[in-house]
Amino acid sequence: MNWSRAIRTKVSEKLTWDNLLPSEQPVYVSSLVYSFGVFTLSSLVFCIASGVIMAAKGPLWYQHTSLGDFMRSVHFWSVQAFFFFMTMHLVGQFFMGSWREGRAMTWVLGSLSFAVAVVEAFTGYLSRGDFFAQWNQVQSKDAFNGAGLDGFLNILNNGQVYGLHIAVLPLILIGLVGLHMLAVRSKGVVPPYRAKSRSKEDA
Amino acid sequence: MAKTRRARFSRDTLQFPQKEFDMVKEGTVSLVIAGVLIVGVAAFFGAPYRPAVTNQQIASTKPILLEQTALGDLDGTGEMSHYGPPYNHGFHGEAPQHVQSILGYHPQTFWGTPYPVNTATDDVLNPLRMLATASNNAALSGAVATFQAAPFATQQTWAMNYANALKKAAVVNGRVVVPSGDYGPVQTMMTAELSFAKSGLLSGALDRESNPGTIYRYNIQDDLLFLQGKALHQIAHGIDMKGGQWGINHDEQPYPGPWWLTPYTFLYQIPPGSTAPWGDEFVAYTIAFLFVLLTLLPWIPGLNKLPRALPVHRLIWRDWYRRLETNKTCATCPLKAACTQEFRGPKVAATAASASPACYEGKQNVPMPPRPEGKGTSGAPFGM
Repeated sequence: MNWSRAIRTKVSEKLTWDNLLPSEQPVYVSSLVYSFGVFTLSSLVFCIASGVIMAAKGPLWYQHTSLGDFMRSVHFWSVQAFFFFMTMHLVGQFFMGSWREGRAMTWVLGSLSFAVAVVEAFTGYLSRGDFFAQWNQVQSKDAFNGAGLDGFLNILNNGQVYGLHIAVLPLILIGLVGLHMLAVRSKGVVPPYRAKSRSKEDA
Repeated sequence: MAKTRRARFSRDTLQFPQKEFDMVKEGTVSLVIAGVLIVGVAAFFGAPYRPAVTNQQIASTKPILLEQTALGDLDGTGEMSHYGPPYNHGFHGEAPQHVQSILGYHPQTFWGTPYPVNTATDDVLNPLRMLATASNNAALSGAVATFQAAPFATQQTWAMNYANALKKAAVVNGRVVVPSGDYGPVQTMMTAELSFAKSGLLSGALDRESNPGTIYRYNIQDDLLFLQGKALHQIAHGIDMKGGQWGINHDEQPYPGPWWLTPYTFLYQIPPGSTAPWGDEFVAYTIAFLFVLLTLLPWIPGLNKLPRALPVHRLIWRDWYRRLETNKTCATCPLKAACTQEFRGPKVAATAASASPACYEGKQNVPMPPRPEGKGTSGAPFGM
């Protein structure tokens, strides 16, 4: 088997330009619920942009300067927006049963993204460098230790926590979100459930 | 006769009637809207920030508490002294006191003690040795040496006597004054520890203990653990930040906190999360189980059909269902048997490869109203 040819064939079949950059969509895509996904992505863009600036200038900058304080505020509200839209997106997709008709992996990727985002946000809270970070850092050691995660992560080691927050977890999150989007685009938006009125007509 | 094939039932979304959609434009619009909202709210409200609590502050405002904390670390009565893995195996041969175990399952111990903490050495003896050297203080150096040379029982007697004395202590001009008693070198050591903390240098000494052999001190373990007992709990209680007060779920100021942790925090408000010594382990694995349920939802019988039973999807796709009723296409759908399979039987349907997809309200079968060039037929704002 030629791996290169197999991958090229698979990718060409699944990821056509019509799927990746569509100029049409099914007419049933007609609800504000569909906007939660794109607003989640937009919020993530602001999380990343503000986070990159904060990482470039360093923790002292975002704790002790007025511009740093503003950028920390942008980061804070980006995260709030990100979780708000992501949660609404999750709830909306649940009610649409969006795992149907071959879209289970899309759901799984979305769910994993949510979980990684929670840990990403938590390490961010611990990187604030204020009392909230201090208190939750010492409190969460019991949770991490009790769960058996202590061998991998010393939650009291800021070098590790900060590194996870600004590099490792964002890379994983961006990767998962990217795969989630590719899955959405390659399969298309899940069609509606069969109309209940049909049952009567079928009978 | 048309060749038939058995395939997993799925409808090609491209077979549905389409409308105009500009993904790039709508992505850009959403980015602008999100940006204006986020930057505007950030500029108007700012973000919460309460400075971290330092050893220096505790030493200045609660000197007795600081000495009690240091004494607990020295005599093994402090929580971290006998915590157990991943920090230590208890204090002076006593069993660890904070190993969480459910039915004999205690993953906390699986990794050993990768982050070793000996509170007496790390928090008191080594910092005081450094202080004695730095200040050329022979009395302090001698006190530390005397304490270390004494039998363990004697050390404990001195420490217990001083712990009892601290309960009756008074603060005079920032110094802790206790009644006379048999404290051995402990009183000298605790007085020096308090002075060290007041100077602001104790944190540096503790960070040095957490980062042996390097000047790059990223690990703040010992510094955080020194205050993690009564000192931080008293402050956290005053601002409703303890676990039983929905702790991490809210910020200490009137800002939204990490509200997405609500299910997690809720488990700490009820037994056994709120009462059992293995509460953290219980909560962690309960949340992990719920997450697995969420992730595997597509394959969980019953739950994966729940959205169809709930009427919310009727609201979300109300335009589509109204359209079907208007066009009356469902009654003539040649694939209605296959459609039924989707919801009532195995997800396999016999479909004719060349069948016209009328159940999609296909373009070929239902006359569509003429679409204005460059315009969509419906008002869907975004398609992601």
